[in-house]
Amino acid sequence: MRHTFFAALSLFIVVALLNVFGQRPKTTLAAGSSADLRVFAPTSLRGGLYYEGRLTVEAKNEIKKATFVLDSGWTEQTQINTIEPSPVGEASRNGKLTLDYGHIGAGHKLVVYLQFQVNPTNVGRRSQNVALYDDMSLLATANRTVTVFP
Amino acid sequence: MDVVVRAFLAFCFVLLLTRLIGRRELSSLEPFDLVLLIVVGDLVQQGVTQNDLSFTGLLIAVGMFGVLTLTTSYLGFRFRRFRPLLEPEPLILVEDGKVIEKNLKKERLTAEEIAGEARLQQIPSLDKVQWAVLESGAGSASFPSPAPRLRTLCRSI
Repeated sequence: MRHTFFAALSLFIVVALLNVFGQRPKTTLAAGSSADLRVFAPTSLRGGLYYEGRLTVEAKNEIKKATFVLDSGWTEQTQINTIEPSPVGEASRNGKLTLDYGHIGAGHKLVVYLQFQVNPTNVGRRSQNVALYDDMSLLATANRTVTVFP
Repeated sequence: MDVVVRAFLAFCFVLLLTRLIGRRELSSLEPFDLVLLIVVGDLVQQGVTQNDLSFTGLLIAVGMFGVLTLTTSYLGFRFRRFRPLLEPEPLILVEDGKVIEKNLKKERLTAEEIAGEARLQQIPSLDKVQWAVLESGAGSASFPSPAPRLRTLCRSI
């Protein structure tokens, strides 16, 4: 009985070492014809943890009004500590947070840093898709989910 | 992953710290020693879990300490050469009524403290002590009988 318990505990520690319970960040790439979108953020988290989400846009063609649309997994039960650089505008599109960054020239890069803290009561699996629009025209979508452990 | 690594480093550091502090402080628990232990516990917790408020984090950190404790005790049991690293060897403080100053100095003890401990164990004078040994781990001093043939008389500090 004792050996089984310690074997299970050791296995649990090994699983934790393999980052199953967070919080090593991963990159999700969405390649579009006009721009590439990279999302660099953890896919597993625990209550109370601080973490960073990094959105990188590499524009192949000119983007007149670059807009990110964030799924609810970014904002639900999560403290948004800061977003740098600050967007020129924020709004809601079908219930999702939108961040407007204006013009990005062809061949230019935009990097946005988002700093969060997970609420301790935030538990479960949520969609953290990020869509990049040029105003209302979809350029790329990075599909990802985040799991918050209790 | 980060909690596992921090718990491992904290365990190694606390093990090293307790070995360096020695037996005297750990056994006597003077008021300052008690404060030190409480403060160390609090600071270790902050360093290991940081701002993690999750139950998963608790399981990882406590589980890691449990596994490391079991591993070190097994290493000490299985491999003789690990034992001095994990716990100090017994130290002779008094031999045939004579205080061994070198060993007392090593543990920052005074002859008066040893004599006081002997009195607590109903031994009026160190002259009558054949052996006084500061045991490993528990930090106890045992005073075997002054009689030529050793009788069992081991009491803890």
